[in-house]
Amino acid sequence: MAFINLQNVTYKYPLTKTPVLQNINLQVNEGEFVAVIGPNGAGKSTLCYALAGFVPHFFKGEISGTIEVDGVESSKSTLDEWVLNVGLAFQNPFNQISGAKYTVFEEIAFGLENNGVPREEIRPRVEEAMKMTDISNLADRSPYSLSGGQQQRVALTSILVMKPKLLVLDEPTSQMDPIGTREVFGVVRRMAEGGMTVVMVEHKMEWIANFADRVIALKDGQILLEGKPNEVLTSDVLAENGFGISRYTSTAREAKKRGLWKKENLPVTLDEAVEGFKLG
Amino acid sequence: MHERLSFYVKRNSVIHDLNPLTKVILTLALILIAFTSPWYWTPHLLVLVAIIPLSFIGKVAPEFFRTAIRIILPAAGFLFLMQAFFQPVGDTVIFKFYFLDVTQESLMFAFRNATRVIVMVSAFTFMLLTTHPSELMSDLTRRGLPGQFAYVIISTLQILPQMQAKAQTIISAQRSRGLDTESSFLKRMGSLSPLIGPLVFGSLAEVEERAIAIEARGFTSKKVKTSLHEIPDHSSDKIIRWGLVILVILSIALNLWPS
Amino acid sequence: MLEKIKNNFNTQTWVLIPIAIAINIAVGQIVLLLKLPVFLDSIGTVLVAVLCGPWAGALTGALSNVIWGIAIDPGALPWWPVAAMIGYMAGRMAQWGFFKSWWKVVVTGFVVALTAAIVSTPIAVYLFGGITASGSSFITAYLLQTGTGIWQAVVSTSFLTEPVDKITTAMLAFAIIQGLPKRTIGGYPKAEQATVEGGASKNQLYIAVGVVVVLVLFAAFMLRNILGG
Repeated sequence: MAFINLQNVTYKYPLTKTPVLQNINLQVNEGEFVAVIGPNGAGKSTLCYALAGFVPHFFKGEISGTIEVDGVESSKSTLDEWVLNVGLAFQNPFNQISGAKYTVFEEIAFGLENNGVPREEIRPRVEEAMKMTDISNLADRSPYSLSGGQQQRVALTSILVMKPKLLVLDEPTSQMDPIGTREVFGVVRRMAEGGMTVVMVEHKMEWIANFADRVIALKDGQILLEGKPNEVLTSDVLAENGFGISRYTSTAREAKKRGLWKKENLPVTLDEAVEGFKLG
Repeated sequence: MHERLSFYVKRNSVIHDLNPLTKVILTLALILIAFTSPWYWTPHLLVLVAIIPLSFIGKVAPEFFRTAIRIILPAAGFLFLMQAFFQPVGDTVIFKFYFLDVTQESLMFAFRNATRVIVMVSAFTFMLLTTHPSELMSDLTRRGLPGQFAYVIISTLQILPQMQAKAQTIISAQRSRGLDTESSFLKRMGSLSPLIGPLVFGSLAEVEERAIAIEARGFTSKKVKTSLHEIPDHSSDKIIRWGLVILVILSIALNLWPS
Repeated sequence: MLEKIKNNFNTQTWVLIPIAIAINIAVGQIVLLLKLPVFLDSIGTVLVAVLCGPWAGALTGALSNVIWGIAIDPGALPWWPVAAMIGYMAGRMAQWGFFKSWWKVVVTGFVVALTAAIVSTPIAVYLFGGITASGSSFITAYLLQTGTGIWQAVVSTSFLTEPVDKITTAMLAFAIIQGLPKRTIGGYPKAEQATVEGGASKNQLYIAVGVVVVLVLFAAFMLRNILGG
């Protein structure tokens, strides 16, 4: 039995005509790290909201099919219960700061307070979570005084402290500089290595190639391709459908046409590209 | 503005150790007594024998007087002048100013009203100087105030300085593009929308995402909320609170008694 | 009753209120800077009232006023009931369908102004003896000196000053709501109140102008009656 199980999920936002998700079938095993890629408007964020319970509990609209996580069906649960199992973090770190707290420590404790975790438990759990994401030194700072990368790690920690079984990330590094991206990916990698199931929308192909167990390519609300990172990310189908592609892949593809790329598979990362071109 | 919104000054004092609710009650009691006490000099006395000494006991006197001079006194002074000149009460004319009579009665009246306003604002200031907003809010939430109120108050206090900074940026940006804040009335009216448009639309667009972010952390959870901080409430706090309530009742009763 | 209050508040309402308060204050300060003869410091309150309902509007107004009083102008503190009533009345008018076209919005602004005038009068009279720290008190003072009774003087002053401000406020709030993408509005409790009626915008504008003229005449008539002819 898959940990995440989406069966024929079709969804339309209120006041819109075309469904953003069409007949999505998706199974993810416990502990798997799945990356989702796709052009703008492909339905990536909506897929995240569906996994995190906000579709349909927060956004109304029409939904059909079933969404199941850890054996529980979303439509039969409430959002309050659902968020205890599924954590969601998204692009803009600024909007994820609750605003209700003055320090990073309090900010991270917010979710635990809301869910009635006893006081004695709150402090050690917050401390542990901050250690995991390497932000213990920020504990007394105001969340608003931090850099984007730091804020995003605070947002992630605020979710992780609730110990979700599934972590859903919607382009958490899209507004980060290289340093912020590295910081955020560092945290996500540690989570994945610790056995947490992760679904992450991301367009930084090299990072995906390094981390993900599986890649799902979404277009117009449908799954276009699905498979191992290197197979999916170097597929000609992606290039033809307007997906963002690693520059190493596209360079090697051109090189291959001219006989300069000798390997069978195209590269995604710099290292793979260097290795391949050395052969030539 | 930025520093003024976080009034709180961290010090070690008896006042800081009081329970936040006690300080709220103290503030309300001071205001109610100032406005209901039938005796003319009550508000003046409250300032001299209660609020000023309390600011010393709370070790926040320098900050208190700074706020008083910068904000409270100008506001009260303006009110005093308006009322002294324009209040047509009494006939003991002290001096004439064009068609306006300044009478002894209007002076007395203005003096008391201005002092009442001073009591009101300085009592608030004193409370805010010695009480951390998040402590106040967690204490009130623990006592049954819906958690959403705490959210609204604290996030307003944090958003406001950001919004004002944004407004400043927009104003200077528009100025550098030729906005004229000194031109004709119609022109100024016209420059309103490029100023408030970006401010308003930008922040309204954030609402949905921010709502999702806090719901993802159990904002709407039906469970009884807990609090990270433990806020002490001693028996002395309870005694002070009841004492204050009795004083307020006395003051109101005296006010209603003879007439 | 409690249910009716509760249905004004979802998470989006709670997130919107602080933003609306900040809008009130920031816009209020921008207007001061532009030296316009209006306040416009309740745009945020009206936005909340229309999108979320009268009770949410009332709460926004009251809190705005208290925070404005504490942070900027202490003299504003006692007027929180007026700000609350502005939010409440704007929400009620929206509920009655008076926030769907330009001329209806003008009526809303006018009704809100009258309500504000009525609620502020006892506060001005009892707390300040009619003379407050506001600039419009010069009018009150003049009326008092000419022998007008205190209640009449205060009410007439408010009648003279409030409508322009509140009608402008309501119209700006309407323009803002019209400018928001539909999807942004969808999540608020009373989103349907904010959907705009169809119809030629030119005709709407003519009606709006007509309504303003009628309201001005009406206000003048009321004023004359209050002042005893």
